[in-house]
Amino acid sequence: MRYALRKVGLFALTLWAAVTLNFLLPRMMPGSPADAAIARLSQNGPVTDETRAAVEAQLGVPDGNILQQYLAYLDQVIHLDFGISYAFYPEPVSGLVATALPYTIVLVGTVTVIAFILGTLLGVLAAWRRGTWLDALPTVGGSFMNTFPYFWTSLLLLFFLGYVAHLFPTFGAYSATAVPGISWDFFVDILYHAALPAVTLLITSLGGWIIGMRNAMINTLGEDYVTFAEANGIGGRTVALRYAARNAILPNLTGFGLALGGVVGGSILVEQVFGYPGIGFLLFNAVIGQDYPLMQALFLMITVSVLVANLLVDILYGVLDPRTRR
Amino acid sequence: MHHSIPMHIGRRTVLSGASATALAVAASGCSLQIRSRPDPTIGSDTLLSGGDAGTPTFTANFNPYQPNARSSVGLLYEPLLLQNPLDGELTPWLAESWEQSDPAELVMTLRSGALWSDGHDLTVQDVTFTFDMLKEHPANDTKGAWSRIDSIETDGQDILFHLSGDDSPAVGSIGPTLIVPQHIWSGVEDPTTWRNEDPVGSGPFTLGNFTPLQYTLDRNEDYWQADTILIQHIVLPAATSEIDLVTKGYDWAYSYMSDVDNTWGAANDHNRHWFPPGGIIGLHPNHDVAPFDDVDVRRGLSLALDGDAVGKAAAEGYMEQASQTGLLLPNQEDLLDPSIPDQGIVTQDTDAAIAAFEKAGFSHDGSTMRTPDGDPFSFAITTANGYTDWLRAVQEVQRQLGEIGIEATIRAPQAAAYEAALSSGDYAIAMGSSNGSDTFQGYANLLSSEYYVPVGESSQNNRIRFRDDDVDDLLQRYRASVDEQEQTEIIHGLEQVFMDQIPIVALYYGGLWGLYNDGRFTGWPTADNPFTSPQTYGSSPLMVLTHLRPVEKEPAT
Repeated sequence: MRYALRKVGLFALTLWAAVTLNFLLPRMMPGSPADAAIARLSQNGPVTDETRAAVEAQLGVPDGNILQQYLAYLDQVIHLDFGISYAFYPEPVSGLVATALPYTIVLVGTVTVIAFILGTLLGVLAAWRRGTWLDALPTVGGSFMNTFPYFWTSLLLLFFLGYVAHLFPTFGAYSATAVPGISWDFFVDILYHAALPAVTLLITSLGGWIIGMRNAMINTLGEDYVTFAEANGIGGRTVALRYAARNAILPNLTGFGLALGGVVGGSILVEQVFGYPGIGFLLFNAVIGQDYPLMQALFLMITVSVLVANLLVDILYGVLDPRTRR
Repeated sequence: MHHSIPMHIGRRTVLSGASATALAVAASGCSLQIRSRPDPTIGSDTLLSGGDAGTPTFTANFNPYQPNARSSVGLLYEPLLLQNPLDGELTPWLAESWEQSDPAELVMTLRSGALWSDGHDLTVQDVTFTFDMLKEHPANDTKGAWSRIDSIETDGQDILFHLSGDDSPAVGSIGPTLIVPQHIWSGVEDPTTWRNEDPVGSGPFTLGNFTPLQYTLDRNEDYWQADTILIQHIVLPAATSEIDLVTKGYDWAYSYMSDVDNTWGAANDHNRHWFPPGGIIGLHPNHDVAPFDDVDVRRGLSLALDGDAVGKAAAEGYMEQASQTGLLLPNQEDLLDPSIPDQGIVTQDTDAAIAAFEKAGFSHDGSTMRTPDGDPFSFAITTANGYTDWLRAVQEVQRQLGEIGIEATIRAPQAAAYEAALSSGDYAIAMGSSNGSDTFQGYANLLSSEYYVPVGESSQNNRIRFRDDDVDDLLQRYRASVDEQEQTEIIHGLEQVFMDQIPIVALYYGGLWGLYNDGRFTGWPTADNPFTSPQTYGSSPLMVLTHLRPVEKEPAT
């Protein structure tokens, strides 16, 4: 219990630091949101003083000194009110995030869970049968696929399966003519559109889980207690899963916690390539548009998710490995 | 609300460049010919337009005064006068005529018979309401109409604009204002944040189906010049990456495209492009920073550079060297002073360049250019990070200046910081865009000392911090003149100022990247028939859509 309390206390401290950093960082970037808006407009022609005045009037300029801004910010954070987006003016930030989040959670979240489970199991198998093709295939294949930059993989898949073979849609989370809602047709449409981005994320992330698990597992398999268990005639599967894998999974589990926390950040490049309307795309637009309110909301959401995931993993560690409780 | 002149290859293009790279690599590696594959459900009376890009999806924002409005607001709402983005020429539109016999007073006569798409008449009250709304909400006054207007009166169908002073070019800021219906907008609490999801306009099209991934516009049967509109529907999908444009059978799009003949051009036998000039890209010296306050230094820079080579490096040779007169040629050749040699195209001449620098007190020992203090001449060129065409241009400038012993370094902050640096004068010399369709306004925005602020203070106009009493006098004389002949002579004078004082070093033209397909529709603006620019936003769509017609199919024999 003290272990958990200590972790929660640390969590609160980190959270405060993250929230404060999140306030400071965008304010340290050069150029104001109005400058960013002008930069966008100036791609279509010279911008005059009048246009700048109009843009500044629309976006508003933060008022009060830095301390007042900080207090106002904390008040907003508590109420989950992140104001109006600059880049998507006049849309409220909360609405933009609420629209994008489900797509990202379903796409990146599902893929992360699948990749972790599949990769870890393949890693266990590879280590247990090391030296056989069951080891060579996932290990070599995994590290090979892992070296692909995933935006490149996604471009190749998009080009050949989308534009050349016309097997998959090339843009968006559902068809232009689909009616969003709770229906079987829409569900199938969503899956169809998520297929290519999901496959991209899966094949580029699977290798890491396989190799991580295999290496940790091989170490544990060399431990005396495993030899002892085998010498006692305990069945192979039980030794592999209950004795070796349970101990070897800890590093992978940490990685999984972080990955799960990072899910809400979306996958910027994959969402960009496939025109997938998730958080990654939003974050990308927020950064290039100097959209402080949107950036702050997204960064905060990502930080909090990673922190919460870490907290959960820490507590789970305590359950899996009694030594960490001390 | 878009301005009229694209200056350089936009950020969207930089991003979608990634997919274009995949296309190019895959195409060259595997000898794949990408052909467009039109959607068979698009009917023969329906135009597929890539004129609006989702980010990645559309939000329903049809408030014509907002920067994030859907670009099709230009087909839903109409201005009093339609401004041609190529040469600034004004065509009577909702106003059937306009007149300015007194430089401080502008009279427009509203056309009668125009209707709003909900059946109400478009009246003089709608016009005055629109301007009153812009006055009350300066955030919506993106063209700065109220920086020119003092008060407005009406008389029958006539609208009298009393200007704040002699201001004959004011019509260029007032005429293009989009007019909205009073009976809808008067009930809007805050017209600066209102999304106007169900737009009621006077234009040739009305909003059809809207989804975040695609929307349609339908022909307005009651449009005041409905006989000119021969297209029934326009479909605008959100997916408009370069590879989408090439493969999905678009009829009209606006995008810089690398190797356009072998990408867009090769995808369909009827795919065409037209890239007319829309602005001048050049080096913008800070006239408050030595030695760029010295005209001989600026002339030295101008003579040392080969604008044609810089333009080729920047935009694959699609754009030509810009005239040092500040005119967009050939768009504005009517205004060109015939006494200026070579249409103001500066020929690179390194000997003359070195002579100009020596006149400014510099010395050149055959390999290094030295300042009057004896230090090697070195300065930073500021450009915006991510504008890859500008970066390629600066690199070419750097190389050319290196040949006469000048060391130019590159300073590339991100776009917002670049804007801030230029506005506040925190730069020595910068890549910039200037001039454009409205000839006079282009000169005035760049050169008028009324916009001058010292380094450290911000201004959006005259960021080069130029001051010259004679130029101010020319600008003032133009504002006070309503005589076309006299105005042309003054423009000639301003061209001479550009040639003699070199306020900016003109390098090459920024392009308007029009892509169109003449297989199903014809009547597009082209180099031979340049009635407007090929851009898909701003004032061009109204002009283009009133000219397009379906291609007559050969009768079957």
